[in-house]
Amino acid sequence: MRVLSRYVEAVTALNNRIGHVSAFLVIPIFLLLLLEVGLRYLAGSPTVWTNELAQMLFGAYVLLAGGFLLANRGHANVDILHGRFRPRQRAAVDVFTSTLLFAFVGALLYFSSSMAWESVGRLEHSMSAWNPPVWPLRLLIPIAAALLLLQGLAKLIVDLQILFGTAPPQSPDTTPAEDAS
Amino acid sequence: MSLELLTIAFFGALIFFLLLGLPLVFVLGGVSVVFLYFTWGPSAFYMVASQMWGSMGSFTLLAIPLFVFMAMVLERAGVAQSLYTMMHLWWGGVRGGLAIGTVGICAIFGAMCGISGAAVVTMGTIALPRMLERKYDKELALGCINAGGGFGILIPPSIIMILYSLITGTSVGKLFAAGVLPGLLLLILISGYIAIRCRLQPHLGPALPPDERGTWGEKLVALRAVMLPMLIVVMVLGSIMGGIATPTEAAALGVAGALFSAAVHRQLSWDMIRDASLRTFRLTGMIVWILFAAHAFSSAYQGMGAQDLVQDLVSDIPGGPWATIILFQVLIFFMAMVLDPLGIMLITLPVFLPVVVALGFDPVWFGILFIINMEIGYMTPPFGFNLFYLKGIVPPSIKMGDIYRSVVPYVAVMILAMAIVMAFPEIAIWLPGVLF
Repeated sequence: MRVLSRYVEAVTALNNRIGHVSAFLVIPIFLLLLLEVGLRYLAGSPTVWTNELAQMLFGAYVLLAGGFLLANRGHANVDILHGRFRPRQRAAVDVFTSTLLFAFVGALLYFSSSMAWESVGRLEHSMSAWNPPVWPLRLLIPIAAALLLLQGLAKLIVDLQILFGTAPPQSPDTTPAEDAS
Repeated sequence: MSLELLTIAFFGALIFFLLLGLPLVFVLGGVSVVFLYFTWGPSAFYMVASQMWGSMGSFTLLAIPLFVFMAMVLERAGVAQSLYTMMHLWWGGVRGGLAIGTVGICAIFGAMCGISGAAVVTMGTIALPRMLERKYDKELALGCINAGGGFGILIPPSIIMILYSLITGTSVGKLFAAGVLPGLLLLILISGYIAIRCRLQPHLGPALPPDERGTWGEKLVALRAVMLPMLIVVMVLGSIMGGIATPTEAAALGVAGALFSAAVHRQLSWDMIRDASLRTFRLTGMIVWILFAAHAFSSAYQGMGAQDLVQDLVSDIPGGPWATIILFQVLIFFMAMVLDPLGIMLITLPVFLPVVVALGFDPVWFGILFIINMEIGYMTPPFGFNLFYLKGIVPPSIKMGDIYRSVVPYVAVMILAMAIVMAFPEIAIWLPGVLF
């Protein structure tokens, strides 16, 4: 059981670390777009790369949010019944509904991997005027799906521990520091 | 399985898993993947993965983190504080004036940012305690913040409009322009309701004693508070409607304006930026992951051929086209009590919009009706977002029941506004027609 709890902590910590770093990507995205508007109207020389680079950062930004949000219960859900269940009932329901999570994330992981594999194989570029390589971003989709899958497994472990009454003394449900929102 | 049964099973499964508390993204994604497997086979998933890539590359979607970030910064920029002081001086002497002023500030906030939460949180912390101090009726005060908070999604810019345009293919610029007059209509109707109610029942919103109303000098000085917000509004909306910048670039200008306002009010700090970034990340990530899953949903939905079925069903609705539009709004109204706007859009728009267009109605106009309905949804129990934002910041003496009761008259006024826009579509479609 120790191993399982260690796994839960490690995955949650990893997703939290990734989330807290990725959150700042909004700042370069903002600066790039501002730069583009500035260059176009003040200097009269629009660029080919600012908007596309901002777009790629945005792709990474949202992908990496997936696992972090699951770790922090940030994916919106309907609480009308869920909030009223007792902890063990809730854990049982979550174990049951997690099948859909695994179906979606598993399908995403499988098919995005084959897409990424093909893209990395030919070192795909974006074919735009700037033409940057886009294969790293393609590769990030299965990575994000894997992070989400790992976090989904962590949640499943915690739920099973609650269900069978083997939860460790400090409730792992509260280990991820709840951020301010 | 027949198409009818399949469709019922599909929507039934969606609702079943949603009620069990599974996050919307996994409900949409998971149910769709299972149904896709049985209709089009696993190869359909390739389409899902490639559409996901498509939305990562959507330049319009890129506006979302920026508009959210802007709202998060403005919430703490101290702008609301000085706006409130101004409203207090100008409107305090009128019965119900502080509540009317609060609704006015909400409208200014709505024109600066595109989500509803920012205005609710700032006005709830700034305006509510002061209204209660002045013996304003609890429900009148709570309700006006609830109602005003919703302006954020109707008065441009608006994230809900961006999402509506992504799902339906209507122009963001047109939707933004179409929201202006209905937004003003709502502002007038709600202020009018407060004014009339307080005229008839002065104890609900007593006028301030004359010595607190401020001199003309003070009033004029306080007007400075409007300058920064107006600057932001001109930067964001002016650049979009004037064709200078795309909505996404305008959002970046808005962020710059918001940071500048925060600096002017000496609220700009590293902590504030970090906090705003993290909250932006959470909200944007949540929205875009739901959109990712929605691609699976729309593929599954089309794959089953459910679209034709729904269109057949709708064509049997008695009472003609208008009955259909009203029925749609009633359905959306009830869904908005339990689901969030994005979920409602994803589930209903692929079904409703083809019907609306086939009946000869304007999708931009329908979008505005839809968004007014979402505004109502934000404040209808049990799950309106604004109710929860408000509950999070009010003093403990105010119970959820007070907040629930407070919205009743405001919901009635907003339904009236929706009916007016329905009866006079020009209110929505005149301005985009002139501009674009």
